[in-house]
Amino acid sequence: MATDQTYKKKVESAINNPKLSEALHLFGDAYLTSRENAFQGRLDFEAMRKDLAEIKDDVRIRRKELLAEFIKNAEAAGSTVFIAKDTQEANEYVINLAKKKNAKLIAKSKSMVSEEAHFNAALEAEGIKTSETDLGEWIIQLAGQRPSHMVMPAIHMFKEEVAELFSKETGQQLSPDIKSLVNVAREQLRKGYFDADIGLTGANFLVADTGGIGLVTNEGNARLCATLPEVHVVFSGIHKLVRSMEDAVKITRLLPRNATGQLLTSYITWIRGAVPTDGKAKEQHIVLIDGGREALYESKACRDALRCIQCGACANVCPVYQTVGGHVFGSTYISAIGVILTAFYEGLDKAKEITRACIGCRSCSAVCPSNIDLEEIILHLRTQVTQEYGMGMIKNVAFKAVMKNRGLFHSMIRAASKLQRPVTHKNAVDGERPIIRHLPMHFMDRDFTEWRDLPSVAEKSFRDQFKGIVQNVKNSRYKVGFFVGCGADFVYPEVGTSLIKVLNALDVEVVFPQKQNCCGIPALYSGDTETGVDLARQNVEAFTEAEVDYILCVCPTCTMGVKRDFVKRLADSPDWSAKARALSEKTMDASDFLENVLHASEKLTGFKPQGTVTYHDSCHLKRGNKVFKEPRALLNAGGYSVEEMKNSDRCCGFGGTYSFLSHPQISKQITTDKVQTIKAVNSKTVAMDCPGCMIMLKGAMGKADPNVRCAHTIELMAEALDGKE
Amino acid sequence: MTPNTHLSCFVEAARRVGTEVTQVDSLQDAAAYIAEKTSGIALVPETVLADKHDLKTLLGAAGVDVYEGDFRKAGHVPNAGITFSNFAMADTGTVVLESTMENIRLATTLPEIHFVLVDPKTILEDNLSAVKPMTEMHKGSEPRFVAYITGPSRTADIERVLTIGCHGPRELHILLVEGISSDLMEI
Ligand code: SF4
Ligand code: SF4
Repeated sequence: MATDQTYKKKVESAINNPKLSEALHLFGDAYLTSRENAFQGRLDFEAMRKDLAEIKDDVRIRRKELLAEFIKNAEAAGSTVFIAKDTQEANEYVINLAKKKNAKLIAKSKSMVSEEAHFNAALEAEGIKTSETDLGEWIIQLAGQRPSHMVMPAIHMFKEEVAELFSKETGQQLSPDIKSLVNVAREQLRKGYFDADIGLTGANFLVADTGGIGLVTNEGNARLCATLPEVHVVFSGIHKLVRSMEDAVKITRLLPRNATGQLLTSYITWIRGAVPTDGKAKEQHIVLIDGGREALYESKACRDALRCIQCGACANVCPVYQTVGGHVFGSTYISAIGVILTAFYEGLDKAKEITRACIGCRSCSAVCPSNIDLEEIILHLRTQVTQEYGMGMIKNVAFKAVMKNRGLFHSMIRAASKLQRPVTHKNAVDGERPIIRHLPMHFMDRDFTEWRDLPSVAEKSFRDQFKGIVQNVKNSRYKVGFFVGCGADFVYPEVGTSLIKVLNALDVEVVFPQKQNCCGIPALYSGDTETGVDLARQNVEAFTEAEVDYILCVCPTCTMGVKRDFVKRLADSPDWSAKARALSEKTMDASDFLENVLHASEKLTGFKPQGTVTYHDSCHLKRGNKVFKEPRALLNAGGYSVEEMKNSDRCCGFGGTYSFLSHPQISKQITTDKVQTIKAVNSKTVAMDCPGCMIMLKGAMGKADPNVRCAHTIELMAEALDGKE
Repeated sequence: MTPNTHLSCFVEAARRVGTEVTQVDSLQDAAAYIAEKTSGIALVPETVLADKHDLKTLLGAAGVDVYEGDFRKAGHVPNAGITFSNFAMADTGTVVLESTMENIRLATTLPEIHFVLVDPKTILEDNLSAVKPMTEMHKGSEPRFVAYITGPSRTADIERVLTIGCHGPRELHILLVEGISSDLMEI
């Protein structure tokens, strides 16, 4: 429990330091713009990243043979290669070498694996001084900290802090002027390259067919480290192998573009063997470190993580990283990739909190140049964490005891709809719907309703309303099954009734299999696979029996559940998985179906102008189901004029149980960002296609500006139809 | 793309990253340009092309203080380094220097200003087209040090503010001169 407490404190203090979060947001925004510019023109990011993934996968499969080839070629050019099974062995190798050379000072350029190895501490313990020469790393070294970002190690520090550190180091009073601080580093460190006995660099590539390494840098310190001292040590993880120069060049086309939006960094340096140094041949040692990588290669579910080229992008776009920074959300490696590498290099135990800190927005998976589905791997690790450490009392009861039992779950919700009455209030924009303003203090955590209204459970769930709905469809074109999902069933049943109205208007009949249950994603996201499997079965059974042409969801998380996860969850049984696959092929998000199957925006015409709406892209709709044009087309056709908000596809902070149970504070910060961008548009309506986002945004907007309405696209379409009649 | 569009693309890309690009008619003119911009000793490695074009003499005649000693003893921050290049890449504005000879490395990493003489005929379309000459350079098993240089040294490590001149040269000048050599293996 001790680690839980320290972790909680770290989260709190990060959240109480808005300056850092502000800086990371500014950085995140600027990053997106420069990245977009860098990929402009004839480059196809999707094709490039698939290509890179293939290269890295082939390297994984042939790694033994390629490693041998690399070693043979490197040795032929005069290098000495040492394979270290872990970071400790790697450190010891350098310590012995330094002692043999009687070395007093090692000038280092950036190497993440040396951070992993706590190299500096290990060497200093033996009386060997190390001097970081990368500006960011030097700042961190002077501050006695660890990097909080893989590309920009000192991104969490401000120029005033840097000035203070440099003043102490130089004994002069320095002003916080960035240009002059950079100059101080230039002057201070220059002598070190000449004095150092050993220069240490990392490697971005180990090129098998040449036996050389590649270094991608901007400052020029790696070139000095590799040139001036008589001995050059290369410190690298074994996963940096590529087959050929061509592979490496392909990575140089992706890495800088995706890391900093540069077309190429200032320097890319290719070094093979014992190049001449001061009239002699240089002594070059290449230390290749396993340190948990082989185990990661062997993990089928997680091994894609070793495709990583360390561009740092998965941090740049991550809402959790932007809120709490890399010192909280990560360890040696940070953010999405950090969660995974921490689990493998430092142990699952060290990663247990951060696997839960991910909100599941999939931004990382969308931006990764190596096509790693980071979010999915994190999810897998969370399941392991739950298996080993449990998931906490509240969720245990909720998922295991209640949700698996459909009858109990649904009657509890009915009871809740009655119990909550004393605490509900009228809502400003849709007055007929009560909301929970404050919960009785003893009921839940104080922070729960302080910053957002909670939705109340609907008086009558969709499943109970459905029986009373008369559908007027003369020549039915399709029979669709409606997978309602918990949000639309119990909180926003009006989304479901709206869907029936819109579909009926397009001659589509809706059936509702009453045996359907929760899609299981909340349980799965909390790492409870067992409940997930059980729920998948219940739903597959209900919808197979219904014999429908399509299955529609109004919640993109449910769409992902039915479309992608049921098949996986039921993979062990051929019978079930065949059924699940058949359903998967028929499952679509409602907007996707309306637009791409029914061509609703062409068919439905003659609407009155409805005013401006702004659109929020739900994480799972855009990145999970690749649907984002469709709702906009529908809204525009329905007479609404869509005005875009900034970063419309940035997470709203919901993440299911994340916002309620595991990380309400982080969630709150992410939501605050969203509220600000919504307010900046000046539209009185925010449309979205996800009941989860509705819970979050209705709640937060309710407190921030009660005049802004949050509604599902389908609701707005039904209203537009009403206006026509 | 034709060699001509490569040239304009190269110039544009190089300028975008802060490189000064100038087209001159002859190496004499290049030497005059360099003389005007330097204010201290200049490191001029004696490469094949430097010998062939008698670069040191040209620079000396133009008034450049060409350093004649051991480059490692030229001080921690000499004023200028002057080199040729093997080839260049248009889409990123990069010059490529086969720098296995240590003096090329010292002349391009230590000084405040780096001048590179580039024959426009050696400008390739992009880094994919550089794979061939790069592979060629790595034939056999001799030690190799090849540098891609794209603009001056930079950092954004303090508050993400782009700052020029961190550890490498603060200025990069590319002088385009016809007729130096169209052989990508020569520097
Ligand atoms: S899924 Fe979203 S919250 Fe989770 S690590 Fe990726 S970007 Fe961060
Ligand atoms: S996981 Fe992907 S996005 Fe993250 S640092 Fe690695 S390559 Fe970049």
